[in-house]
Amino acid sequence: MPEEYTSLVTALKALYQGEGKNKVTLPMAEDEWTTRPETVSYGIVALEFEVDALYGDNVKKCTSYEGSVDLYSLNRDGAGWVPLITATLTEHCEGAWSLNHHTYERETGLFHWEWAFQVEG
Amino acid sequence: MPFKIEFTGMDELIRKMDKLPEVAAKVAAESLYEGAGVVADAVSGAVQGIATEPFKYAKGGKRRKPSPEEKAIVSNARHGVAKFKNDGNTIQTSIGYQKAGYATLKGKTKPVPVIVNAINSGTSFMQKQPFLRKAFSKSKSAAIATIQAGIEARADQFDLG
Repeated sequence: MPEEYTSLVTALKALYQGEGKNKVTLPMAEDEWTTRPETVSYGIVALEFEVDALYGDNVKKCTSYEGSVDLYSLNRDGAGWVPLITATLTEHCEGAWSLNHHTYERETGLFHWEWAFQVEG
Repeated sequence: MPFKIEFTGMDELIRKMDKLPEVAAKVAAESLYEGAGVVADAVSGAVQGIATEPFKYAKGGKRRKPSPEEKAIVSNARHGVAKFKNDGNTIQTSIGYQKAGYATLKGKTKPVPVIVNAINSGTSFMQKQPFLRKAFSKSKSAAIATIQAGIEARADQFDLG
């Protein structure tokens, strides 16, 4: 598992809003939720596939991986999590990320953000 | 990509420089089409890799995989290289399902791009299968190399020597 990805997951899982007793954590799962949390917002982070590799001395010296962060929220503004997630991505992926998808699900009333990121492994 | 211009007089230089934008646009468009073809082929191949399971209603917060019917719609839908846009400085195109039209799924008519987006990015009740992103990211280097090779192969069309 790439070190950059591990630190990103740790940072995303540690995301919080407010301070002290009013601290509200964002439920964040890796890969998939076994049972979706009954909260206003929740997230998913996943490392998906190998994008490219740099070879030297007949071995793979450096590999880049792509993954995604999903945020589902009942609030149009993502309950304040959007800027926190983008700031975390900027810090841990050295800016190699983009907002890939943003949509509204009529069936569930959830807003969905999907960011794609690349990390070095 | 550097090219050397040889001329014997101002008249010849002016003639060659006048001709350059038109030839450059033609060569760029032809090379871009070849490069876009590499990405479009990667998308066609990636569609076959979508994992499916028979349709079931996602219950208890669990997410389902795309159904075989949804995969069939995506693989049979019109997709490929879009019409080129030339704004004078750049030539752009896109690859995807923009004009794929509509499809009927379980008695409901839906735009194909919506089904593609749901499979590619996932929903709160369907697992994502990022086949488009995977095809784009993995074919990027090959597409750039193809475009560069296309321009180099057409260097004689510039008639700059």
